[in-house]
Amino acid sequence: MRSSATPKRRQGAALKTPHKAAVKPAVEKAQAPQRGARSQQTRFSSRLRAWGRHHRSMGWDSFQRLIRYPLGNLLTMLAIAIALVLPAALWLTLDSARLLDAELDESATLTVYLELSADDAQSLRIEEAVNAEPDVLETQLISAEQGMAEFQQSLGLDDALAGLESNPLPISMVVRPESVDPVAMQQLATRLEALAGVDEVRLDLAWVERLRNLAELGRRVALALGVLFGLGVLLVVGNTIRLSVESRRREIEVVMLIGATHAFVRRPFLYSGAWYGLGGGLLALGLLDLGNHWLSLPVSALAASYGASFSLPQLDVTGSTILLSCSTLLGWLGAWLAVTRHLSSIRPR
Amino acid sequence: MIAFEHVGKRYGGRFEALAHLNFRVARGEMVFLTGHSGAGKSSLLRLVMRLEKPSRGRVVVAGHDIAQLHASQVPFYRRQIGVVFQDHQLLFDRSIFHNVSLPLEIQGVEPREAARRVRAALDKVGLLHREKALPIELSGGEQQRVGIARAVVNKPALLLADEPTGNLDPQLSADIMALFEDFNRIGTTVMIASHDLALIARLRHRILRLSDGRLVADGGAV
Repeated sequence: MRSSATPKRRQGAALKTPHKAAVKPAVEKAQAPQRGARSQQTRFSSRLRAWGRHHRSMGWDSFQRLIRYPLGNLLTMLAIAIALVLPAALWLTLDSARLLDAELDESATLTVYLELSADDAQSLRIEEAVNAEPDVLETQLISAEQGMAEFQQSLGLDDALAGLESNPLPISMVVRPESVDPVAMQQLATRLEALAGVDEVRLDLAWVERLRNLAELGRRVALALGVLFGLGVLLVVGNTIRLSVESRRREIEVVMLIGATHAFVRRPFLYSGAWYGLGGGLLALGLLDLGNHWLSLPVSALAASYGASFSLPQLDVTGSTILLSCSTLLGWLGAWLAVTRHLSSIRPR
Repeated sequence: MIAFEHVGKRYGGRFEALAHLNFRVARGEMVFLTGHSGAGKSSLLRLVMRLEKPSRGRVVVAGHDIAQLHASQVPFYRRQIGVVFQDHQLLFDRSIFHNVSLPLEIQGVEPREAARRVRAALDKVGLLHREKALPIELSGGEQQRVGIARAVVNKPALLLADEPTGNLDPQLSADIMALFEDFNRIGTTVMIASHDLALIARLRHRILRLSDGRLVADGGAV
């Protein structure tokens, strides 16, 4: 043997295994590791430090592996990003539709047509009666002349209507109800119709309802897409991690042979998955921003042509944080599933 | 330290790799395991490492029936055993130093303490000057010594070796065996599977001879 006597003695000292204390207590420790840790505070804290150290080193190590193969990993992240962008964009669109929804609530009104015979004094009395109803928020009287003017304007029938001898329109009243709930509005309409001097009450709920149902439909589609594409992210990350488990199979076998726990083996892959998720999330944010720029001009032009000002919604800080946490979590979960599934198939030779 | 009680091991229901094994290895003993290839030497070591469970009987290590260990306890059990493999099982993308420090890393030993122990182990096998090298840059004999350093770095009470001199010339083989004897001298129980009869006969330790999965001889040097 080449080693000299001095190092032999040094190693001998380091290796001094007391004969009796050999494996036995160690195996006992293996059977009740928690008990040992609890009884010895210092050992527990040193274990905790070792645990933290391994987390740090694996987090960093997996990050470096990511950088070592930038193109392949970038493609993986891009796939994740694309899967995230679609539901996120749909959700954003619906979010802006919710703003429209609030405007719809404003426009949910009842129109009360008074009898033709009603004059101004009567109409004021009726308005008082309507206002006395508990569910009424505010009312606005529209005189017959006003009504005619609006009618003319909206239909563009100036000439035909000008030929009429007398105004055929009754005095009407726009009533804003307190609750926009369809049932409550219907009940209110019935009560108002029963008032003396009221000819008819119209409530144009159908289109409000339709729009609202459409928005609800969109929301559910977004949710379903979100779930589907979330599964897609799981699969993308899972598959990538599966390949990297496969390529490091030998290493895994070796460390398991010398006593690595599953958690120890899993850790670097979980970090890789989380990095993939985070990277994909960041790319998704970038893509959303890009799409926003790309669409903002035609959208505002379109809105302007309808006489409205509408701009595409942007993901705020909260939204971005949610997106990034979701993608990171999905990446982590995908990695967990892939590694756990594969660890059971890896047995040390 | 090790007790086999009526141990049998079948693979796939039919093939009987080991049968009716009964023997004990005392603490601090050094034992050779020999027999033709396929006689069951590796299977026996795999049972001790708890890579497999016996089909019959009990394998007791340090007073514990290791078949009873829960899967989550097995890693902790394995940390108590140093194993030297015929094909070294080194990681080729890591330096010698990192290969040897792997068991300590797994156990969460504080880095400075780990480095001290790794250097002590490398010094012991005479490879301290190669700590930065990659395994591929080393000769077969040197690689095997790295494997030994890794097996002893966490001071196991039990050291197993499966054909540690398998591919080495006689002089290197003798060096490796001398190394094992050194560890045995300081109290480590050593069990070495080897078919190099000429070599182990010279060393005058207890020899267990297997044939077709059965223990056919148990005694001193033949």
